[in-house]
Amino acid sequence: MTGEGRGGLVSTDFEAAARRNRRNTVILIAVMIAIGAVLAYLLGATVESAEGDPRFNPAASGLGLAFALIMIAISLIWTLITMKAGDRIVLALAGAREVDAAAAPQLHNVVEEMAIAAGVPKPRVAIMETEALNAFATGMSRDHVAVAVTRGLLNSLSREELQAVIGHEMGHVLNLDVRYGTAVGVFVGLIVLLSDGILRLGRFGRMGRARGNDKGNGLQIVLVILLIVAAIIAPLAAKLVQMAISRQREYLADATSARLTRNPLALISALEKLGNSTVPYDRANRAIQHLFIVNPFRDFSATAGALMATHPALADRIARLRDLG
Amino acid sequence: MFGWIVLGLVVALAVYAVATYNGLVAGRNQVGNGWKQIDVQLKRRYDLIPNLVEVAKDYMGYEQETLKQVIAARNTAMNAHTPAASGPAEAQLAGALGRFFALAESYPELKANENVRSLMEELTSTENKIAFARQHYNDSVMAQNNRIEQFPSNVVGRLGGFGPHEYFEVPAAETAPIKVSLR
Repeated sequence: MTGEGRGGLVSTDFEAAARRNRRNTVILIAVMIAIGAVLAYLLGATVESAEGDPRFNPAASGLGLAFALIMIAISLIWTLITMKAGDRIVLALAGAREVDAAAAPQLHNVVEEMAIAAGVPKPRVAIMETEALNAFATGMSRDHVAVAVTRGLLNSLSREELQAVIGHEMGHVLNLDVRYGTAVGVFVGLIVLLSDGILRLGRFGRMGRARGNDKGNGLQIVLVILLIVAAIIAPLAAKLVQMAISRQREYLADATSARLTRNPLALISALEKLGNSTVPYDRANRAIQHLFIVNPFRDFSATAGALMATHPALADRIARLRDLG
Repeated sequence: MFGWIVLGLVVALAVYAVATYNGLVAGRNQVGNGWKQIDVQLKRRYDLIPNLVEVAKDYMGYEQETLKQVIAARNTAMNAHTPAASGPAEAQLAGALGRFFALAESYPELKANENVRSLMEELTSTENKIAFARQHYNDSVMAQNNRIEQFPSNVVGRLGGFGPHEYFEVPAAETAPIKVSLR
């Protein structure tokens, strides 16, 4: 555990991980835009079919195409906003407040130390005012990143343990997990919002009711059913993407923390403290739960190994870290 | 047909050579920048030490000798301009600071002083930053040297005049255990 070792402590291949994350982010955004466009087309077609025009063709609905184009335009603008301010959106969703060096000198120092060790610019620093123990990093590039920790974490971790946790977050920055995670969080939010809106329209609006008894009636019912099914499935699919975020990432970030600090024992004791804390952080938005170092909602000791969990069980992570030492 | 294949190969080779050359240049700049980062942190350490000693003086009346050693080591290190001279001087300063930190443990009033606490935190952090900057420098050197020595990038490296970089070696005095006198 000397300061200057020559070989890496463990193999932590960030460049391969970063390439995967760049590619996955592009695929993710394309798929999310496509889902949004399909939803918008179905909505437009349903509305048009309600007009009862006998020449209506569900495969080439003018209103549907118009809606789809508008949705694509909105998604593209949304993508640009995400590129520019994804980290700030996520900080707001998490209820984290940015702090300057005078307000949290030690946290700023530790973040700067880990940035130096990783060879990246110093991220911005934010604090979540809660007794829960948690932390996350967010941002669309290595140069524009924010790291957020909870007040409880600052109060109950030693300097070395804090350093290990920040090292873990710096691992996500190096691997560009932050980019993919931020994009997932921001787009899952958009799809959920859109589907919610459609379902609400269907419940309260006139969309679901047939006007008159035209020939288009049967077709219209089919379209409404399609739309509702799509509006239910789309957010589920988006959630699945969020859950499928490989748990491998957490192991890799843990290993990177050990490589940066040369001190896996500090991370082990930090994770043990995180695991022993029973305070949940329910102010966090569910769209970004995958970004946290430990899941802010779920009880992470018991069922976290299950298929749907966004995080591996802490016991597994600690066991792997012990293998490094 | 044959001509096209040859042309394709030449183009592929040229693309590879350009990409590798640019990668080597980026790596060399990263190594240079890593070295500068170490200097930035060393400078910060020189600036912090007199402040800390000034405040600590009032509390550590019996330890004037240690404080003098810290200041003397700091001045020597600051005035060492060649790498050969700065290695041992830095090591001596690190040793003197280590003794100072160890002694400070036995002065509760000193550690309770808000001013001292924040100076100690700054100095601890600066010591860490120096260590991490060196660690990152060595990591960059290893990555760059691998590229310069491994085939086939070593061909481009040879032609482009890229030489291997030197690792930062830990001075012997820094690896030696600190002697603690109990009297």
